[in-house]
Amino acid sequence: MDTFTTMLLAFISLVLVNNLVFTKFLGICPYLGVSGRIDMAFGMGLAVTFVVMLSGTLTWLIDHLILIGTPLEVTRYVCFILVIAGAVQLVEMYVRKFFPPLYDSLGIFLPLITTNCAILGLCLFINLWEIDNLLEAVVRSFGAGVGFTMAICIMAGIRENLELADVPKCLRGVPITLITAGLLTLAFMGFSGMIK
Amino acid sequence: MDNNSQSSIGLYKNTFLAGLWNENPVFRLMLGMCPTLAVTGAVKPAFTMGCCVIFVLICSNIVVSLMRNLLKPHLRIMMFTLTIATFVTIADLILKAFLPDMSDALGPYVPLIIVNCIIICRAEACASKNGMFISIIDAIGMGLGFTLTLCVLASIRELLATGAIFEVQILSLKESGGWFVPLAAFSMPIGAFVTLGLMLGLINLVSKKRS
Amino acid sequence: MQDKIKYFLKQSWLLIAASFFFGLLIAVTNASLKERIDYNLNVYKYNKAAKVVLPEADNFEEVAESVSVKTNSGKELTTSVKKAVDSDGNALGWAFICEGKGFADKVQLLVIVDNDFERMIGYGVLYSIETVKYGDEIRFPEFMNQFKGAPAGGFQLSKTGDKTIIDSEIVAITGATITSQAVVDMFNAFIPQVKEQMQEKGLI
Repeated sequence: MDTFTTMLLAFISLVLVNNLVFTKFLGICPYLGVSGRIDMAFGMGLAVTFVVMLSGTLTWLIDHLILIGTPLEVTRYVCFILVIAGAVQLVEMYVRKFFPPLYDSLGIFLPLITTNCAILGLCLFINLWEIDNLLEAVVRSFGAGVGFTMAICIMAGIRENLELADVPKCLRGVPITLITAGLLTLAFMGFSGMIK
Repeated sequence: MDNNSQSSIGLYKNTFLAGLWNENPVFRLMLGMCPTLAVTGAVKPAFTMGCCVIFVLICSNIVVSLMRNLLKPHLRIMMFTLTIATFVTIADLILKAFLPDMSDALGPYVPLIIVNCIIICRAEACASKNGMFISIIDAIGMGLGFTLTLCVLASIRELLATGAIFEVQILSLKESGGWFVPLAAFSMPIGAFVTLGLMLGLINLVSKKRS
Repeated sequence: MQDKIKYFLKQSWLLIAASFFFGLLIAVTNASLKERIDYNLNVYKYNKAAKVVLPEADNFEEVAESVSVKTNSGKELTTSVKKAVDSDGNALGWAFICEGKGFADKVQLLVIVDNDFERMIGYGVLYSIETVKYGDEIRFPEFMNQFKGAPAGGFQLSKTGDKTIIDSEIVAITGATITSQAVVDMFNAFIPQVKEQMQEKGLI
């Protein structure tokens, strides 16, 4: 298989087949918290995509240039989380300077990207999948970000319509969101097996 | 002095009980959702996960409450994540050394404890404001609340998916002459989301009836 | 300049001190547990899987240190071949580790073939986190027994058939074709290549 096909498959695999939110349960907190309005969800998705790409690439480099094969491997998690915290800080400063309205509307959720499991999860999975070239690591990180954005936007779209629906009182809010998410995972299971 | 110790015991008790029900991390605060959904396919990994979280929570609360007066506001989150990451690494090493099979089953969800919002939230809300002792009590309460929730959810899912709880067969399966047909959907992502959603709904219903 | 450094130190001394302290803590834990972790990774799981496949085996002697195998996806992997020996020192077969991509994550299997690389003795699971009741069934006899005594290599997967007949035709696990295919592909890639290199080395 030539490089282009491999990269395309890696990308599609993370957007549709192995979507982090629907198959690995990563990034559920912002998924439930921010997915109320579609424009906010999209802004959040873009911020996460950027952070995940930056930290996915950086952690891959750190892992392969410094950690692998040395006794320092044991400090992997600490290194990863510090890189992510740094990347989030960077995004926060950037958004505050250039997109003040978005910064205001995201509020507390922006610094909380640090504790978004999707990002650390992806860095760990890249390590676990034993990806051995930089390009694939970048493509997969980007795919994960796009997959997250897609998931959170679909959810926001559904939730905007859900407000008009007559949901039993005790299920309103988070419970019905979770059940909807469950049905969505069922739909996404249809993609499984598309790519080995 | 007597009065004081009396009220402090009450405080400890309340702090402890808050984590179990009133401020239960999963049901009330909606924190730590991703391990809640991911490892509750069976009780054994869920229980192991709960124990790891209790360990990390206690250790990080102790450290954070010890250095609470030295913290600089803007470096606070950095400090918390550093502390938590350290203890998670230690928990991971212990798991690998003594429970290798469990370590495989949990996989990357052990290091993902680092970004479990419960721990950072307790560090911020409790340990960075209170003394060491009360932080420990809070950690145990919250940790137990989390573990119990995980186990309840895992029991329901494991029972419906395989007819067993903690790998002990409870319902007799159809293939071995019984009546129960396993509902494999409950071991998949959809089972996780729907079970948790319905449980939250049930809890809303119960607490509304009470009040 | 000096003021800047002073300011920097004032702000971050706790962070730096804590990093040292935490680093030390991790180092100590790692040093005290390393032996056990290595043992678990290399010996415990290997023996556990091997005991299931070949209970008679008493010891596994390392013979060919590294054999490189090209997988279907074009990756180059190395595996080490060990000789299974019973308590009297008779050779029982060859054991080596296969790896491939399953449905959820990678699947790692320990394969044992007979002395001539003609027939499979069986396989054991070293690492797999496939879905319970589906892909995870590779751990259970219904699927596993199809390989016991089957001709080594050249397996074909079919959806229906008789699971009790021992031949190159392997009946897939219902609902887990991907995992079944992964196992079959893995064996088809690894066994002939390992055999070839063993013949080159003059071991069989």
